[in-house]
Amino acid sequence: MDFNGFYEEFGEPFIGRKRKKLKEFLQKSELDYDEQIEYTVNLADGDGNIVATGSIHQNVLKCIAVSDQHQGLGLSARIVTLLMNYAMERGREHLFLFTKPKNLLMFSDLGFYKIIQTGDILLMENTRDGIKNYISKLSRPENPGTVGAIIANCNPFTLGHRYLIEQAAAQCDTLHLFILSEDKSAFSAKVRYELVQAGVKDLPNVYLHHSSDYLISSAVFPTYFIKDKSKAADANCELDIRIFCEFFAKELGISKRFVGSEPFCEVTGAYNSAMRKLLPDYGIEFIELPRKESGDLPISASFVRKCMAQGDYESIKQIVPQSTYDYICSAEGRELAEKLAAQECGNER
Amino acid sequence: MKITSTAVAGTLESSDVYVKVEPCDALEISIESVVYNQFAEEIEASVKNVLNEMGVESGKISINDKGAIDCVIQARVETAIKRAGGNK
Repeated sequence: MDFNGFYEEFGEPFIGRKRKKLKEFLQKSELDYDEQIEYTVNLADGDGNIVATGSIHQNVLKCIAVSDQHQGLGLSARIVTLLMNYAMERGREHLFLFTKPKNLLMFSDLGFYKIIQTGDILLMENTRDGIKNYISKLSRPENPGTVGAIIANCNPFTLGHRYLIEQAAAQCDTLHLFILSEDKSAFSAKVRYELVQAGVKDLPNVYLHHSSDYLISSAVFPTYFIKDKSKAADANCELDIRIFCEFFAKELGISKRFVGSEPFCEVTGAYNSAMRKLLPDYGIEFIELPRKESGDLPISASFVRKCMAQGDYESIKQIVPQSTYDYICSAEGRELAEKLAAQECGNER
Repeated sequence: MKITSTAVAGTLESSDVYVKVEPCDALEISIESVVYNQFAEEIEASVKNVLNEMGVESGKISINDKGAIDCVIQARVETAIKRAGGNK
């Protein structure tokens, strides 16, 4: 469709001069260009000046802006439609959007619904009551008693995880265990979930769930998946914690959140200290359990992956349950070990 | 025709309609419109009309209408369903 001579520009993503131009345009709307962006749509006038833009990363729309002189022409609707079609073609149906609170009405018109607002960030999704429907479907006992929660990646499930879950399960009547659904780890989400399932099936009060898009996903906690120390300090985790408190804890009656102490990963460390600060506001106890130790071997999933890369199966056997060990020794596990070994070589070079 | 995958048609621009269809065991139609108070029933009737014609008995149909006229709504719904199904 013609928009008085505005033409569309697509970047996957834009680089060089065009990206610089886009950054300057965003700055006028007080937005920063997000380095993770994978696809951008611009509308430009006959002279090549950007008049409207919008971008997407995974299932999150971001950096949407329309120049002051071109407000009210419905340009943002054009941008959002193009981004939605791009996502839909790639099978991403559940979309999120970050914006400023003052844009609530505008995006409500485009089929987005508010999830939560913190400070000057508003998070929306394209499903009405999506988060509430998701939580109401989670399995739970009728008389939950004291309810605790653990959110873990388990990449892969080790005796350390098992120890943390056992300890936590002993301290409450019901324990909800969320395994991250995001497929960004060495072990796939499906495998991680199955290994945990096998590893905790003898604990009757543990309820296992997929974390979905709402907990520690690239939508609500983008920086979690960039393991970059320099960004750990400003890890954008407040949103994630508030979603956990206001939706999950409220609906499931969670009064305790357990974590394992985290001496190695700085992002997780920053996340834990943010939880320590924020959870008491909602009446949720933050309980940090010390890591289990096994002789001189650290029990950590990253150590398991390192051993896999080096082919040190004896060490692995000592720190993972049988079910995980069986998987690691399977054909699929061997294949993964080769991939990890290749990565390790790459890192050293 | 059966809806076997998620598909969309249309745009969010003024005088158009954005239609999304998803597989679902029941038939669910949700309508949002800038002229909801005046035309919600007519829009629903148009959608059902297309569904009947195409023999669609189940699916989740989400309509986000920006003031589209009847033939546009019908065309968009038909396109979305054809994109989502294919096989009779």
